[in-house]
Amino acid sequence: MVVIGENIHVIAKVVNDAIKARDAKVIQDLAKVQAEGGADYIDLNLGFCRKDPTVMGWAANMVQEVVDLPLSIDTMNPLAMEEGLKVCKKKPLLNSASGKADSKEQMLPLAKKYNCDVVISVINDKGMPAEGDSKLDSIMDTVAYANDLGIPNENIWADPIVLPVSTAGEGQKNALATYEFIEMVPEALPGLKSTVGLSNISNGAPMELRPLLNHVYLIMLARKGLYSSIHDALDKEIMDISKDRKQKLVDLVYRTWDGEEIDPSSLSQEEINYVKTTKVLTGEVLYSDAWLEG
Amino acid sequence: MEYKAPVEAHTGVVREETIGTGEKALKLGGENILPFHFFDEGSLPNAPTFALEILDMEPTDWPDDLLEPFKNVISDPVKWAKKCEEFGADAVSICLLSTDPAGENRSPDEAAALVKKVADSINIPVLVYGSGDDKKDAEVLPKVAEACDGKNLLIGPVLKENYEVVGRAILEHGHKAWAESPLDINLLKELNVKLCHFLPPERIVIDPESTAIGYGFEYSFTLMERVKQLGVIIKDSMTQMPMIANLGKEVWKTKQAKENKKQGLLFEAMTALGLLLAGANILVLRHPESINLLKETIGGEIWQK
Repeated sequence: MVVIGENIHVIAKVVNDAIKARDAKVIQDLAKVQAEGGADYIDLNLGFCRKDPTVMGWAANMVQEVVDLPLSIDTMNPLAMEEGLKVCKKKPLLNSASGKADSKEQMLPLAKKYNCDVVISVINDKGMPAEGDSKLDSIMDTVAYANDLGIPNENIWADPIVLPVSTAGEGQKNALATYEFIEMVPEALPGLKSTVGLSNISNGAPMELRPLLNHVYLIMLARKGLYSSIHDALDKEIMDISKDRKQKLVDLVYRTWDGEEIDPSSLSQEEINYVKTTKVLTGEVLYSDAWLEG
Repeated sequence: MEYKAPVEAHTGVVREETIGTGEKALKLGGENILPFHFFDEGSLPNAPTFALEILDMEPTDWPDDLLEPFKNVISDPVKWAKKCEEFGADAVSICLLSTDPAGENRSPDEAAALVKKVADSINIPVLVYGSGDDKKDAEVLPKVAEACDGKNLLIGPVLKENYEVVGRAILEHGHKAWAESPLDINLLKELNVKLCHFLPPERIVIDPESTAIGYGFEYSFTLMERVKQLGVIIKDSMTQMPMIANLGKEVWKTKQAKENKKQGLLFEAMTALGLLLAGANILVLRHPESINLLKETIGGEIWQK
Protein backbone atom coordinates (compact mmCIF):
# COMPACT_ATOMS: atom_id res chain seq x y z
CA MET A 1 0.00 0.00 0.00
CA VAL A 2 1.21 3.45 -0.90
CA VAL A 3 1.38 5.58 2.24
CA ILE A 4 0.99 9.35 2.13
CA GLY A 5 2.41 10.64 5.41
CA GLU A 6 -0.01 13.18 6.92
CA ASN A 7 2.22 14.60 9.63
CA ILE A 8 3.01 17.97 8.07
CA HIS A 9 -0.40 19.42 8.73
CA VAL A 10 -1.22 22.99 9.60
CA ILE A 11 -3.65 21.84 12.28
CA ALA A 12 -0.62 20.88 14.40
CA LYS A 13 0.53 23.96 16.29
CA VAL A 14 4.22 23.24 15.80
CA VAL A 15 3.70 23.08 12.02
CA ASN A 16 1.58 26.20 11.98
CA ASP A 17 4.21 28.13 13.94
CA ALA A 18 7.01 26.85 11.72
CA ILE A 19 5.22 27.94 8.58
CA LYS A 20 4.55 31.40 9.94
CA ALA A 21 8.19 31.79 10.97
CA ARG A 22 9.44 30.03 7.82
CA ASP A 23 11.37 27.71 10.11
CA ALA A 24 12.58 25.06 7.67
CA LYS A 25 14.10 22.75 10.26
CA VAL A 26 10.78 21.73 11.86
CA ILE A 27 9.30 20.88 8.47
CA GLN A 28 12.42 19.07 7.32
CA ASP A 29 12.67 17.01 10.50
CA LEU A 30 9.04 15.96 10.15
CA ALA A 31 9.67 14.94 6.56
CA LYS A 32 12.75 12.93 7.51
CA VAL A 33 11.10 10.93 10.28
CA GLN A 34 8.18 10.11 8.01
CA ALA A 35 10.54 8.90 5.32
CA GLU A 36 12.32 6.75 7.90
CA GLY A 37 8.94 5.45 9.04
CA GLY A 38 8.26 4.18 5.54
CA ALA A 39 6.09 6.89 3.96
CA ASP A 40 5.97 6.85 0.15
CA TYR A 41 4.74 10.43 -0.22
CA ILE A 42 5.04 13.45 2.05
CA ASP A 43 1.79 15.39 2.31
CA LEU A 44 2.08 19.16 2.69
CA ASN A 45 -1.16 20.42 4.16
CA LEU A 46 -0.56 24.11 4.75
CA GLY A 47 -4.19 25.17 4.82
CA PHE A 48 -5.55 27.71 2.36
CA CYS A 49 -2.38 29.88 2.34
CA ARG A 50 -4.57 32.92 1.82
CA LYS A 51 -1.97 35.48 2.84
CA ASP A 52 0.90 34.06 0.85
CA PRO A 53 0.41 31.22 -1.63
CA THR A 54 4.17 31.07 -2.29
CA VAL A 55 4.69 29.44 1.10
CA MET A 56 3.76 26.15 -0.56
CA GLY A 57 6.67 26.45 -2.98
CA TRP A 58 9.00 27.27 -0.12
CA ALA A 59 7.85 24.25 1.93
CA ALA A 60 8.11 21.91 -1.05
CA ASN A 61 11.68 23.05 -1.72
CA MET A 62 12.67 22.68 1.92
CA VAL A 63 11.33 19.13 2.08
CA GLN A 64 12.97 18.16 -1.20
CA GLU A 65 16.32 19.27 0.22
CA VAL A 66 16.22 16.47 2.78
CA VAL A 67 14.10 13.62 1.41
CA ASP A 68 13.95 11.93 -1.94
CA LEU A 69 10.21 11.26 -1.94
CA PRO A 70 7.42 12.64 -4.12
CA LEU A 71 5.14 15.22 -2.53
CA SER A 72 1.40 15.46 -2.07
CA ILE A 73 0.45 19.13 -2.36
CA ASP A 74 -2.56 19.52 -0.12
CA THR A 75 -4.51 22.79 -0.26
CA MET A 76 -7.86 24.09 -1.44
CA ASN A 77 -6.22 27.21 -2.88
CA PRO A 78 -5.42 26.82 -6.62
CA LEU A 79 -2.72 29.51 -6.42
CA ALA A 80 -0.89 27.75 -3.60
CA MET A 81 -1.42 24.45 -5.39
CA GLU A 82 0.39 25.73 -8.47
CA GLU A 83 3.19 27.23 -6.38
CA GLY A 84 3.77 23.78 -4.97
CA LEU A 85 3.37 21.73 -8.12
CA LYS A 86 5.75 23.86 -10.18
CA VAL A 87 8.77 23.22 -7.96
CA CYS A 88 8.29 19.46 -7.49
CA LYS A 89 11.18 17.34 -8.72
CA LYS A 90 9.30 14.05 -8.71
CA LYS A 91 5.82 13.52 -10.14
CA PRO A 92 3.65 15.01 -7.39
CA LEU A 93 0.12 14.29 -6.22
CA LEU A 94 -2.43 17.09 -6.44
CA ASN A 95 -4.47 16.71 -3.25
CA SER A 96 -7.25 17.25 -3.99
CA ALA A 97 -9.88 17.94 -6.63
CA SER A 98 -13.56 17.01 -6.61
CA GLY A 99 -16.65 17.05 -8.80
CA LYS A 100 -17.58 20.56 -7.66
CA ALA A 101 -17.68 23.10 -10.46
CA ASP A 102 -14.93 25.36 -9.12
CA SER A 103 -12.64 22.41 -8.47
CA LYS A 104 -13.18 21.07 -11.99
CA GLU A 105 -12.42 24.50 -13.45
CA GLN A 106 -9.45 25.44 -11.27
CA MET A 107 -7.79 22.26 -9.98
CA LEU A 108 -8.12 19.73 -12.80
CA PRO A 109 -6.42 21.98 -15.41
CA LEU A 110 -3.41 22.14 -13.06
CA ALA A 111 -3.25 18.34 -13.01
CA LYS A 112 -3.11 18.43 -16.79
CA LYS A 113 -0.61 21.29 -16.96
CA TYR A 114 1.89 19.61 -14.64
CA ASN A 115 1.05 16.07 -15.77
CA CYS A 116 0.84 15.00 -12.16
CA ASP A 117 -1.26 12.51 -10.25
CA VAL A 118 -4.48 13.86 -8.80
CA VAL A 119 -6.80 12.85 -5.97
CA ILE A 120 -10.44 13.29 -7.00
CA SER A 121 -13.09 12.90 -4.32
CA VAL A 122 -16.68 11.82 -4.87
CA ILE A 123 -17.97 15.14 -3.55
CA ASN A 124 -19.90 17.14 -6.14
CA ASP A 125 -22.13 20.19 -6.23
CA LYS A 126 -24.95 18.20 -4.68
CA GLY A 127 -22.87 17.18 -1.68
CA MET A 128 -21.48 13.84 -0.55
CA PRO A 129 -23.10 10.79 -2.17
CA ALA A 130 -23.99 8.30 0.56
CA GLU A 131 -24.23 4.94 -1.23
CA GLY A 132 -21.54 2.94 -2.99
CA ASP A 133 -23.39 3.29 -6.30
CA SER A 134 -23.91 7.02 -6.06
CA LYS A 135 -20.29 7.55 -5.05
CA LEU A 136 -19.28 5.65 -8.18
CA ASP A 137 -21.68 7.63 -10.38
CA SER A 138 -20.21 10.85 -9.09
CA ILE A 139 -16.60 9.86 -9.66
CA MET A 140 -17.41 8.57 -13.17
CA ASP A 141 -18.78 11.98 -14.11
CA THR A 142 -15.72 13.81 -12.83
CA VAL A 143 -13.30 11.30 -14.36
CA ALA A 144 -15.02 11.74 -17.74
CA TYR A 145 -14.49 15.50 -17.38
CA ALA A 146 -10.83 14.95 -16.48
CA ASN A 147 -10.32 12.57 -19.41
CA ASP A 148 -11.66 15.26 -21.73
CA LEU A 149 -9.02 17.61 -20.38
CA GLY A 150 -6.42 15.00 -21.26
CA ILE A 151 -5.85 13.48 -17.81
CA PRO A 152 -5.55 9.68 -18.15
CA ASN A 153 -7.17 7.28 -15.66
CA GLU A 154 -3.71 6.18 -14.56
CA ASN A 155 -3.10 9.61 -13.03
CA ILE A 156 -6.33 9.64 -11.02
CA TRP A 157 -6.70 8.50 -7.39
CA ALA A 158 -10.35 8.28 -6.38
CA ASP A 159 -11.32 9.23 -2.82
CA PRO A 160 -14.70 7.91 -1.59
CA ILE A 161 -14.54 10.18 1.54
CA VAL A 162 -14.32 8.45 4.90
CA LEU A 163 -16.71 9.70 7.60
CA PRO A 164 -16.47 9.20 11.37
CA VAL A 165 -17.96 5.84 12.33
CA SER A 166 -19.32 7.52 15.46
CA THR A 167 -21.70 9.75 13.46
CA ALA A 168 -25.13 8.57 14.63
CA GLY A 169 -26.25 5.85 12.27
CA GLU A 170 -24.66 7.29 9.13
CA GLY A 171 -21.03 6.58 9.95
CA GLN A 172 -21.35 2.83 9.85
CA LYS A 173 -23.40 2.97 6.65
CA ASN A 174 -20.75 5.10 4.99
CA ALA A 175 -18.05 2.63 6.02
CA LEU A 176 -19.91 -0.09 4.15
CA ALA A 177 -20.48 2.14 1.11
CA THR A 178 -16.74 2.79 1.01
CA TYR A 179 -15.88 -0.92 0.77
CA GLU A 180 -18.35 -1.25 -2.09
CA PHE A 181 -16.91 1.75 -3.87
CA ILE A 182 -13.33 0.56 -3.67
CA GLU A 183 -14.32 -2.86 -4.91
CA MET A 184 -16.22 -1.46 -7.90
CA VAL A 185 -13.66 1.11 -9.09
CA PRO A 186 -11.25 -1.15 -11.05
CA GLU A 187 -13.99 -2.63 -13.20
CA ALA A 188 -15.88 0.61 -13.77
CA LEU A 189 -12.81 2.75 -14.42
CA PRO A 190 -9.81 0.64 -15.44
CA GLY A 191 -6.47 2.14 -14.47
CA LEU A 192 -7.91 4.33 -11.71
CA LYS A 193 -6.31 4.13 -8.27
CA SER A 194 -7.97 4.73 -4.90
CA THR A 195 -7.02 6.57 -1.73
CA VAL A 196 -8.62 7.60 1.58
CA GLY A 197 -8.08 10.05 4.40
CA LEU A 198 -8.01 7.19 6.86
CA SER A 199 -8.05 8.77 10.29
CA ASN A 200 -11.41 10.47 9.74
CA ILE A 201 -12.96 7.08 10.51
CA SER A 202 -12.05 7.54 14.17
CA ASN A 203 -12.81 11.24 14.48
CA GLY A 204 -14.95 11.79 17.57
CA ALA A 205 -14.08 8.40 19.09
CA PRO A 206 -12.25 8.29 22.46
CA MET A 207 -8.68 9.47 21.81
CA GLU A 208 -6.95 6.37 23.17
CA LEU A 209 -9.07 4.10 20.96
CA ARG A 210 -8.64 5.99 17.71
CA PRO A 211 -5.57 4.03 16.48
CA LEU A 212 -7.45 0.75 16.82
CA LEU A 213 -10.26 1.93 14.54
CA ASN A 214 -7.71 3.26 12.05
CA HIS A 215 -5.77 -0.02 12.02
CA VAL A 216 -8.71 -2.31 11.54
CA TYR A 217 -10.34 -0.08 8.96
CA LEU A 218 -7.14 0.02 6.92
CA ILE A 219 -6.95 -3.78 6.92
CA MET A 220 -10.53 -3.96 5.71
CA LEU A 221 -10.09 -1.34 2.99
CA ALA A 222 -6.89 -3.04 1.84
CA ARG A 223 -8.77 -6.30 1.44
CA LYS A 224 -11.11 -4.53 -0.98
CA GLY A 225 -8.14 -3.35 -3.01
CA LEU A 226 -7.35 0.12 -1.64
CA TYR A 227 -4.25 1.46 -3.40
CA SER A 228 -3.19 4.20 -1.02
CA SER A 229 -3.94 5.81 2.31
CA ILE A 230 -3.18 9.15 3.89
CA HIS A 231 -2.31 8.56 7.53
CA ASP A 232 0.11 8.96 10.41
CA ALA A 233 3.49 7.76 9.15
CA LEU A 234 4.88 7.82 12.70
CA ASP A 235 2.41 5.19 13.95
CA LYS A 236 4.57 2.07 13.75
CA GLU A 237 1.67 -0.32 13.93
CA ILE A 238 -0.22 1.24 11.07
CA MET A 239 2.93 1.35 8.98
CA ASP A 240 3.40 -2.37 9.66
CA ILE A 241 -0.14 -2.98 8.48
CA SER A 242 0.39 -0.80 5.39
CA LYS A 243 3.50 -2.75 4.48
CA ASP A 244 2.01 -6.22 5.07
CA ARG A 245 3.91 -7.01 8.25
CA LYS A 246 0.89 -7.93 10.43
CA GLN A 247 -0.38 -11.06 8.74
CA LYS A 248 -1.76 -12.65 11.89
CA LEU A 249 -4.00 -9.71 12.74
CA VAL A 250 -5.02 -9.35 9.11
CA ASP A 251 -6.14 -13.01 9.05
CA LEU A 252 -8.10 -12.48 12.24
CA VAL A 253 -9.94 -9.48 10.78
CA TYR A 254 -10.71 -11.42 7.58
CA ARG A 255 -12.07 -14.42 9.50
CA THR A 256 -14.26 -12.19 11.66
CA TRP A 257 -15.52 -10.36 8.59
CA ASP A 258 -16.35 -13.68 6.93
CA GLY A 259 -18.63 -14.51 9.85
CA GLU A 260 -16.49 -17.06 11.64
CA GLU A 261 -17.29 -17.37 15.35
CA ILE A 262 -13.88 -17.19 17.00
CA ASP A 263 -13.48 -18.51 20.52
CA PRO A 264 -12.33 -15.49 22.54
CA SER A 265 -10.51 -17.69 25.07
CA SER A 266 -7.97 -18.50 22.36
CA LEU A 267 -7.20 -14.81 21.80
CA SER A 268 -5.02 -12.16 23.42
CA GLN A 269 -6.61 -8.90 24.60
CA GLU A 270 -5.29 -7.14 21.51
CA GLU A 271 -6.82 -9.78 19.27
CA ILE A 272 -10.17 -9.57 21.08
CA ASN A 273 -10.15 -5.82 20.49
CA TYR A 274 -9.47 -6.39 16.80
CA VAL A 275 -12.40 -8.79 16.56
CA LYS A 276 -14.78 -6.38 18.32
CA THR A 277 -13.65 -3.47 16.17
CA THR A 278 -14.08 -5.50 12.99
CA LYS A 279 -17.67 -6.24 13.96
CA VAL A 280 -18.33 -2.52 14.35
CA LEU A 281 -16.74 -1.71 11.00
CA THR A 282 -18.69 -4.41 9.17
CA GLY A 283 -21.89 -2.92 10.60
CA GLU A 284 -22.66 -6.16 12.45
CA VAL A 285 -22.58 -4.46 15.85
CA LEU A 286 -23.98 -0.99 16.51
CA TYR A 287 -21.23 1.51 17.30
CA SER A 288 -20.93 3.17 20.67
CA ASP A 289 -17.89 4.76 22.31
CA ALA A 290 -17.89 1.74 24.63
CA TRP A 291 -17.64 -0.81 21.80
CA LEU A 292 -14.77 -2.70 23.45
CA GLU A 293 -16.65 -3.06 26.74
CA GLY A 294 -19.39 -5.53 27.50
CA MET B 1 -52.36 -17.70 -8.27
CA GLU B 2 -53.26 -17.29 -4.66
CA TYR B 3 -51.53 -14.51 -2.77
CA LYS B 4 -49.84 -15.50 0.43
CA ALA B 5 -48.81 -12.69 2.73
CA PRO B 6 -45.23 -13.07 3.96
CA VAL B 7 -44.86 -13.89 7.65
CA GLU B 8 -41.71 -12.91 9.49
CA ALA B 9 -40.33 -14.58 12.58
CA HIS B 10 -37.62 -12.93 14.68
CA THR B 11 -35.50 -14.45 17.39
CA GLY B 12 -34.72 -11.32 19.42
CA VAL B 13 -36.87 -10.70 22.48
CA VAL B 14 -37.32 -7.43 24.33
CA ARG B 15 -36.64 -8.01 28.01
CA GLU B 16 -39.76 -8.28 30.14
CA GLU B 17 -39.55 -5.94 33.10
CA THR B 18 -41.81 -5.18 36.04
CA ILE B 19 -42.35 -1.75 37.60
CA GLY B 20 -43.96 -1.46 41.03
CA THR B 21 -45.13 -4.23 43.32
CA GLY B 22 -48.33 -6.08 44.10
CA GLU B 23 -51.44 -6.50 42.02
CA LYS B 24 -51.09 -3.27 40.07
CA ALA B 25 -47.45 -3.80 39.13
CA LEU B 26 -46.81 -3.13 35.44
CA LYS B 27 -45.16 -5.49 33.03
CA LEU B 28 -43.31 -3.96 30.12
CA GLY B 29 -41.81 -5.50 27.01
CA GLY B 30 -41.41 -9.21 26.36
CA GLU B 31 -42.25 -8.95 22.65
CA ASN B 32 -40.46 -10.62 19.74
CA ILE B 33 -42.46 -8.86 17.04
CA LEU B 34 -42.20 -5.32 15.76
CA PRO B 35 -44.83 -2.81 16.96
CA PHE B 36 -48.32 -3.67 15.70
CA HIS B 37 -46.95 -6.54 13.57
CA PHE B 38 -49.59 -8.91 14.86
CA PHE B 39 -49.56 -10.71 11.51
CA ASP B 40 -46.00 -11.95 12.11
CA GLU B 41 -44.98 -14.99 14.08
CA GLY B 42 -44.29 -14.24 17.72
CA SER B 43 -46.04 -12.41 20.49
CA LEU B 44 -46.45 -9.23 22.41
CA PRO B 45 -47.37 -10.43 25.88
CA ASN B 46 -47.74 -6.98 27.43
CA ALA B 47 -49.83 -4.23 25.85
CA PRO B 48 -48.37 -0.71 26.05
CA THR B 49 -49.18 1.17 29.22
CA PHE B 50 -49.99 4.79 29.99
CA ALA B 51 -48.75 6.90 32.87
CA LEU B 52 -50.06 10.33 33.82
CA GLU B 53 -47.55 12.95 34.82
CA ILE B 54 -47.80 15.10 37.94
CA LEU B 55 -45.46 17.76 39.30
CA ASP B 56 -44.20 18.17 42.84
CA MET B 57 -45.22 21.82 42.75
CA GLU B 58 -48.05 23.81 41.27
CA PRO B 59 -47.58 24.12 37.51
CA THR B 60 -46.92 27.63 36.27
CA ASP B 61 -47.13 27.20 32.52
CA TRP B 62 -49.93 24.66 32.02
CA PRO B 63 -52.89 25.84 29.94
CA ASP B 64 -56.33 25.91 31.56
CA ASP B 65 -57.54 22.97 29.49
CA LEU B 66 -54.81 20.83 30.98
CA LEU B 67 -55.39 22.04 34.55
CA GLU B 68 -59.14 21.52 34.34
CA PRO B 69 -59.29 17.76 35.17
CA PHE B 70 -57.10 18.37 38.24
CA LYS B 71 -58.42 21.75 39.32
CA ASN B 72 -58.84 21.00 43.03
CA VAL B 73 -55.73 18.94 43.47
CA ILE B 74 -52.81 20.60 41.69
CA SER B 75 -51.43 22.12 44.86
CA ASP B 76 -51.26 18.71 46.53
CA PRO B 77 -49.22 16.04 44.71
CA VAL B 78 -50.68 13.22 46.80
CA LYS B 79 -54.27 14.13 45.92
CA TRP B 80 -53.19 14.73 42.35
CA ALA B 81 -51.68 11.25 42.12
CA LYS B 82 -54.88 9.74 43.54
CA LYS B 83 -56.88 11.60 40.94
CA CYS B 84 -54.70 10.06 38.21
CA GLU B 85 -55.41 6.63 39.63
CA GLU B 86 -59.16 7.41 39.54
CA PHE B 87 -58.82 8.41 35.90
CA GLY B 88 -57.52 4.92 35.15
CA ALA B 89 -53.84 5.65 34.59
CA ASP B 90 -51.56 2.60 34.70
CA ALA B 91 -48.92 4.56 36.62
CA VAL B 92 -48.11 8.02 37.93
CA SER B 93 -44.95 9.79 36.84
CA ILE B 94 -43.87 12.44 39.31
CA CYS B 95 -41.56 15.14 38.03
CA LEU B 96 -39.40 16.67 40.77
CA LEU B 97 -39.34 20.08 39.16
CA SER B 98 -39.13 21.91 42.49
CA THR B 99 -35.65 20.51 43.13
CA ASP B 100 -34.24 22.42 40.15
CA PRO B 101 -31.40 24.62 41.43
CA ALA B 102 -32.43 27.27 38.90
CA GLY B 103 -35.93 27.30 40.42
CA GLU B 104 -37.13 26.55 43.93
CA ASN B 105 -34.12 24.36 44.69
CA ARG B 106 -35.91 22.16 47.24
CA SER B 107 -33.77 19.67 49.14
CA PRO B 108 -33.23 15.99 48.29
CA ASP B 109 -34.78 14.99 51.63
CA GLU B 110 -37.97 16.93 50.94
CA ALA B 111 -38.25 15.35 47.51
CA ALA B 112 -37.63 11.85 48.87
CA ALA B 113 -40.27 12.27 51.58
CA LEU B 114 -42.82 13.48 49.05
CA VAL B 115 -42.21 10.62 46.60
CA LYS B 116 -42.58 8.13 49.42
CA LYS B 117 -45.85 9.72 50.51
CA VAL B 118 -47.18 9.61 46.96
CA ALA B 119 -46.08 6.00 46.46
CA ASP B 120 -47.67 4.98 49.78
CA SER B 121 -51.01 6.56 48.97
CA ILE B 122 -51.74 4.96 45.57
CA ASN B 123 -51.84 1.36 44.36
CA ILE B 124 -50.45 1.93 40.87
CA PRO B 125 -46.67 2.13 40.30
CA VAL B 126 -44.72 5.36 40.51
CA LEU B 127 -42.19 6.66 38.05
CA VAL B 128 -39.82 9.37 39.25
CA TYR B 129 -38.25 11.97 37.01
CA GLY B 130 -35.76 14.46 38.45
CA SER B 131 -35.32 18.10 37.53
CA GLY B 132 -32.98 17.16 34.69
CA ASP B 133 -30.08 19.02 36.32
CA ASP B 134 -27.57 16.17 36.31
CA LYS B 135 -25.67 17.32 39.40
CA LYS B 136 -28.75 17.99 41.52
CA ASP B 137 -30.37 14.75 40.33
CA ALA B 138 -27.26 12.90 41.49
CA GLU B 139 -28.15 14.10 44.99
CA VAL B 140 -31.93 13.86 44.81
CA LEU B 141 -32.50 10.55 43.04
CA PRO B 142 -30.34 8.39 45.38
CA LYS B 143 -32.30 9.85 48.34
CA VAL B 144 -35.57 8.97 46.62
CA ALA B 145 -34.28 5.45 45.91
CA GLU B 146 -33.34 5.01 49.55
CA ALA B 147 -36.61 6.37 50.96
CA CYS B 148 -38.61 4.09 48.68
CA ASP B 149 -36.45 1.01 49.23
CA GLY B 150 -37.97 -2.10 47.67
CA LYS B 151 -40.86 -0.32 45.92
CA ASN B 152 -39.42 -1.09 42.49
CA LEU B 153 -39.92 2.41 41.06
CA LEU B 154 -38.67 3.54 37.70
CA ILE B 155 -36.19 6.31 38.50
CA GLY B 156 -34.46 8.78 36.22
CA PRO B 157 -33.29 10.45 34.20
CA VAL B 158 -30.14 8.35 34.51
CA LEU B 159 -27.72 10.25 32.31
CA LYS B 160 -24.22 9.78 30.95
CA GLU B 161 -23.12 12.43 33.47
CA ASN B 162 -24.53 10.79 36.61
CA TYR B 163 -25.20 7.14 35.80
CA GLU B 164 -22.72 5.77 38.33
CA VAL B 165 -24.13 7.35 41.45
CA VAL B 166 -27.79 7.22 40.43
CA GLY B 167 -27.48 3.73 38.94
CA ARG B 168 -25.85 2.31 42.06
CA ALA B 169 -28.60 3.69 44.30
CA ILE B 170 -31.19 2.14 41.98
CA LEU B 171 -29.35 -1.19 42.18
CA GLU B 172 -29.01 -1.12 45.93
CA HIS B 173 -32.61 -0.21 46.72
CA GLY B 174 -34.41 -2.44 44.27
CA HIS B 175 -35.57 -0.06 41.54
CA LYS B 176 -35.38 0.26 37.76
CA ALA B 177 -33.27 2.76 35.82
CA TRP B 178 -34.89 5.26 33.46
CA ALA B 179 -31.87 5.67 31.16
CA GLU B 180 -32.04 8.76 29.00
CA SER B 181 -29.74 9.89 26.19
CA PRO B 182 -30.09 12.80 23.75
CA LEU B 183 -31.63 11.40 20.55
CA ASP B 184 -28.60 9.42 19.43
CA ILE B 185 -28.43 5.67 18.90
CA ASN B 186 -24.70 5.44 19.62
CA LEU B 187 -24.92 7.40 22.88
CA LEU B 188 -27.96 5.38 23.90
CA LYS B 189 -26.06 2.15 23.49
CA GLU B 190 -22.99 3.50 25.25
CA LEU B 191 -25.02 4.46 28.32
CA ASN B 192 -26.52 0.97 28.49
CA VAL B 193 -23.14 -0.69 28.11
CA LYS B 194 -21.77 1.42 30.96
CA LEU B 195 -24.77 0.85 33.22
CA CYS B 196 -24.53 -2.88 32.60
CA HIS B 197 -21.08 -2.96 34.18
CA PHE B 198 -22.92 -3.04 37.50
CA LEU B 199 -26.66 -3.06 36.83
CA PRO B 200 -28.41 -6.07 35.24
CA PRO B 201 -29.80 -5.15 31.80
CA GLU B 202 -33.29 -6.26 32.83
CA ARG B 203 -33.36 -3.31 35.20
CA ILE B 204 -33.00 -0.67 32.50
CA VAL B 205 -35.74 1.10 30.55
CA ILE B 206 -34.58 3.14 27.54
CA ASP B 207 -35.67 6.75 27.05
CA PRO B 208 -34.38 7.85 23.64
CA GLU B 209 -36.01 11.27 24.17
CA SER B 210 -39.39 12.05 22.74
CA THR B 211 -40.39 15.07 20.73
CA ALA B 212 -43.81 16.42 19.75
CA ILE B 213 -45.17 16.27 16.22
CA GLY B 214 -43.78 19.20 14.30
CA TYR B 215 -40.87 19.60 16.70
CA GLY B 216 -38.42 17.03 15.37
CA PHE B 217 -40.79 14.11 15.81
CA GLU B 218 -39.19 12.25 12.88
CA TYR B 219 -35.97 11.94 14.89
CA SER B 220 -37.72 10.34 17.84
CA PHE B 221 -39.72 8.07 15.59
CA THR B 222 -36.84 6.73 13.53
CA LEU B 223 -34.66 6.34 16.59
CA MET B 224 -37.24 4.31 18.53
CA GLU B 225 -37.95 2.26 15.45
CA ARG B 226 -34.26 1.55 15.07
CA VAL B 227 -33.83 0.56 18.72
CA LYS B 228 -36.70 -1.90 18.42
CA GLN B 229 -35.44 -3.34 15.15
CA LEU B 230 -31.94 -3.77 16.51
CA GLY B 231 -33.34 -5.58 19.52
CA VAL B 232 -35.86 -7.81 17.79
CA ILE B 233 -34.22 -8.48 14.41
CA ILE B 234 -30.48 -7.99 14.98
CA LYS B 235 -30.57 -9.12 18.63
CA ASP B 236 -28.28 -6.37 19.90
CA SER B 237 -28.43 -7.12 23.61
CA MET B 238 -27.88 -3.48 24.57
CA THR B 239 -31.05 -2.32 22.82
CA GLN B 240 -33.32 -5.15 23.99
CA MET B 241 -34.89 -3.11 26.79
CA PRO B 242 -38.43 -1.73 26.91
CA MET B 243 -38.73 1.93 25.90
CA ILE B 244 -40.43 4.84 27.59
CA ALA B 245 -41.83 7.85 25.73
CA ASN B 246 -41.96 10.88 28.02
CA LEU B 247 -43.97 13.01 25.66
CA GLY B 248 -46.56 14.93 27.70
CA LYS B 249 -44.10 17.59 28.77
CA GLU B 250 -42.95 18.05 25.16
CA VAL B 251 -46.44 18.32 23.74
CA TRP B 252 -47.95 20.69 26.27
CA LYS B 253 -45.23 23.31 25.98
CA THR B 254 -46.06 23.92 22.31
CA LYS B 255 -48.26 26.82 21.35
CA GLN B 256 -50.41 24.49 19.22
CA ALA B 257 -51.35 22.31 22.21
CA LYS B 258 -52.04 25.35 24.36
CA GLU B 259 -54.33 26.95 21.80
CA ASN B 260 -57.52 25.01 22.54
CA LYS B 261 -58.60 21.79 24.21
CA LYS B 262 -59.44 19.73 21.16
CA GLN B 263 -56.17 20.61 19.49
CA GLY B 264 -54.20 19.89 22.67
CA LEU B 265 -55.75 16.46 23.12
CA LEU B 266 -55.24 15.55 19.50
CA PHE B 267 -51.66 16.78 19.63
CA GLU B 268 -50.87 14.65 22.65
CA ALA B 269 -52.73 11.56 21.45
CA MET B 270 -51.33 11.71 17.93
CA THR B 271 -47.78 12.14 19.16
CA ALA B 272 -48.31 9.18 21.48
CA LEU B 273 -49.81 7.08 18.70
CA GLY B 274 -46.79 7.77 16.52
CA LEU B 275 -44.41 6.72 19.26
CA LEU B 276 -46.46 3.58 19.90
CA LEU B 277 -46.05 2.69 16.25
CA ALA B 278 -42.32 3.29 16.61
CA GLY B 279 -42.13 0.88 19.54
CA ALA B 280 -42.71 2.67 22.86
CA ASN B 281 -43.74 0.30 25.68
CA ILE B 282 -44.82 2.88 28.23
CA LEU B 283 -45.92 6.44 27.57
CA VAL B 284 -46.09 9.40 29.91
CA LEU B 285 -48.92 11.82 29.13
CA ARG B 286 -50.51 14.74 30.92
CA HIS B 287 -54.20 14.75 30.03
CA PRO B 288 -56.45 11.83 31.05
CA GLU B 289 -58.68 12.33 28.02
CA SER B 290 -55.72 11.78 25.70
CA ILE B 291 -55.37 8.31 27.16
CA ASN B 292 -59.02 7.55 26.47
CA LEU B 293 -58.65 8.82 22.94
CA LEU B 294 -55.62 6.60 22.41
CA LYS B 295 -57.21 3.50 23.84
CA GLU B 296 -60.21 4.06 21.62
CA THR B 297 -57.94 4.40 18.60
CA ILE B 298 -55.77 1.35 19.06
CA GLY B 299 -58.54 -0.88 20.48
CA GLY B 300 -58.13 -3.57 23.05
CA GLU B 301 -58.56 -6.95 21.43
CA ILE B 302 -55.47 -6.88 19.18
CA TRP B 303 -53.24 -6.72 22.21
CA GLN B 304 -54.33 -10.11 23.46
CA LYS B 305 -52.02 -11.94 21.08
